[in-house]
Amino acid sequence: MSFDTPAENKAFAEKFHFNFPLICDTDRTIGTAYGANADPQKGAARVGVVIDRDGKIKEWHARVDARAWPAEVVGTL
Amino acid sequence: MLNPGDKAPDFIGRDHTGKTVKLADFKGKTVVLWFFPKADTPG
Repeated sequence: MSFDTPAENKAFAEKFHFNFPLICDTDRTIGTAYGANADPQKGAARVGVVIDRDGKIKEWHARVDARAWPAEVVGTL
Repeated sequence: MLNPGDKAPDFIGRDHTGKTVKLADFKGKTVVLWFFPKADTPG
């Protein structure tokens, strides 16, 4: 998820063949709710979140490695 | 920041294909979300 436009994220997703949706939070509403809009002049902070089956926060991290963390965390579920 | 046990904020947005994505779509499933600063940039 980022504050980029659908066109920007579409190009990114196609370049790397991502198999997950890139949500385009262009008005930063979601980022603000999840603590990822630390600096409104900049892009999103690299926040990582796991939400459990009951819709509750299981993990919240201020900074994750976008290359490694998603696969790592999926491996623990 | 959010803490373990907090209710995850509901959201609705559009993905890169224009499809609407809602947290409610994943009811009963575990969801992994991560934010990145800018499409196709390192660091």
